Amino acid sequence: MKKKLFTVLIFVKISTRRFFRDRLALFFTIIFPLIFLFVFGGIFGKNSTLSFKVGILNHSDSAYSKQYVEELKKSSMFKVDSEVVDDTTAQEKMSRGEIDATIVLPADFGVVKNGQYPSGQAEVHYTQNNEQAGQTLVQVMSAQFQEINKKFVHADTPFTVEAKPIHTQGLSRFDYTFAGLLGFSIIGLGIFGPVNVFPELKKQGILRRLHTTPLRVWQYFSSTAISQAIVGLLTMAIMFVVAIAIFHLHVIGSWLALAAFLAFSIITILGIGLAIGGWAKNERQAAPLANIIVFPMLFLSGTFFPRYVMPEWLQKVSAWLPLTPVIDGIRMIATEGKTLLEIGPQIGLLTLWFVIIYVIAFRVFRWE
Amino acid sequence: MAKNDPKTDDVILRVRDLKKKYGEKWAVKGISFDVHRGEVFGILGPNGAGKTTTLEMIETLREIDGGTAVLDGVDVAKHPWDIRYLIGVQPQSPSFQDKTKLTELLQMFAAAYGTRAHAHKLLEEVNLLDKAGSYVESLSGGQKQRFSIAAALVHNPKVFFLDEPTTGLDPQARRNLWELVEQVRDKGVTVIITTHYMDEAEVLCDRVAVMDKGKIIALDTPKNLVKNLLDKGFKKQQKVEQANLEDVFIELTGKALRD
Repeated sequence: MKKKLFTVLIFVKISTRRFFRDRLALFFTIIFPLIFLFVFGGIFGKNSTLSFKVGILNHSDSAYSKQYVEELKKSSMFKVDSEVVDDTTAQEKMSRGEIDATIVLPADFGVVKNGQYPSGQAEVHYTQNNEQAGQTLVQVMSAQFQEINKKFVHADTPFTVEAKPIHTQGLSRFDYTFAGLLGFSIIGLGIFGPVNVFPELKKQGILRRLHTTPLRVWQYFSSTAISQAIVGLLTMAIMFVVAIAIFHLHVIGSWLALAAFLAFSIITILGIGLAIGGWAKNERQAAPLANIIVFPMLFLSGTFFPRYVMPEWLQKVSAWLPLTPVIDGIRMIATEGKTLLEIGPQIGLLTLWFVIIYVIAFRVFRWE
Repeated sequence: MAKNDPKTDDVILRVRDLKKKYGEKWAVKGISFDVHRGEVFGILGPNGAGKTTTLEMIETLREIDGGTAVLDGVDVAKHPWDIRYLIGVQPQSPSFQDKTKLTELLQMFAAAYGTRAHAHKLLEEVNLLDKAGSYVESLSGGQKQRFSIAAALVHNPKVFFLDEPTTGLDPQARRNLWELVEQVRDKGVTVIITTHYMDEAEVLCDRVAVMDKGKIIALDTPKNLVKNLLDKGFKKQQKVEQANLEDVFIELTGKALRD
């Protein structure tokens, strides 16, 4: 047995070394998911707080109106587009969707009437396709004005509503996206890796040559799995560093639990790649089968968009896909701080898939 | 005759009525031969004669559909995993995973047998020491063949199989490979080689079996095969008293082209 494990160890060592010499593999495993991280991080990263892109047209000379505009510019809720200077530019930008709405302050805005306090009515202009943002903006501004009104006019407000966030660690859209991206990276590494490599190894007779040695399939599989897990954990470490440094990802769970869960996930998903690549005689068999299996998982397991946006029946079905417990588990450990015990259902489902996948992979493996 | 003791038995490979079927067609139709310890044994034949299939059955790569092959006292069909430790295999066109140094590949092959490789010593024996740190894809065809021999010998096998080792090599590379095969034999390793080059068989082989259509149709030393042909009254058209093994081969298997 010791000898058999020695075989695995040497194979792990050399194939891991070999991986880092393969620029193409490095690109697809490490750089490619990072590019996705930047793209999706750019889209969803800052969305954790509500914000509006607006243009401001101030037609008033009053001191108050100028002060109000300055306040808006400072507010994190508003991104003021300074290129909007008149109705024409505002119209253009709105129709192109570059800004959500235009806030128009009429000439009498902020003028002190009755010698007591400033008053006025701001207008929010928006196009039809931006109706939702426009109306939300109106509500947000009315709420702000009410606060301001209180300072000038004391009025009793019998009914009020106050927002009280309960979860201090609420999940942002990016938390979902990031877990999904790790899932995507695991798929790339675990499925597309072997699916591309194995048919080539068979075509050149490299596996056949190994088959004349006493090397066992389990030794070959486990050395591939360990090597891929090492490479995968390294890739994901890089992704975590980038996500934390640039996109302010908050990881509150145990890193050790996370690493263990990721390694198990990589090895399980890799089994799918080993099964397809090990079965296929050539690329023409491997590629279509890999696509049939991968695409449903990519879209239904929460890789690119969270599963909660799906219709309920689809959520129920997609919950059973092998990648779903992977993505859910990563998110639950990393951003919800759950322990391995608490994600028992995810680990259980993943273990079930591990057994099914590897039974198939061993059965269908061919050396040539 | 008493049961043979594998340790003292002069016969290292005993093949009896070996058969292989592909679909409905018998590719090997019950062949029998013995290979002696320490000899270079050649299997000759046109393409499709069943040479490679025969080799692959003994190498445990293909299932045996009938008959037996016993190598160094071990039944191939019954103990395929034991056989693998006894044999070294050089396939028809050797190739190795890319971006891996020669020394690393030798380590991997040795590891497959659960041992460590004397990588530099092996490379020196096949004249590739200066390439130790190179990747296999930078080797020429002849160098690849030589490296493949080193890879097949990492575990000191008793029998070394070469399947058409010189196909596609230039004359220099061929001669170099012949020398290497002789070196291997001189170390006491039994060599079994398939080829369709008669000059190769004449130079290298102590005995040859000629196969055609899944059967062995002649088995003897190259010299005796030629002598038998001459005794039958065979005469070459131009040279009066000479014939070489190529003549034997063509006489036995016919002149028609095979695919």
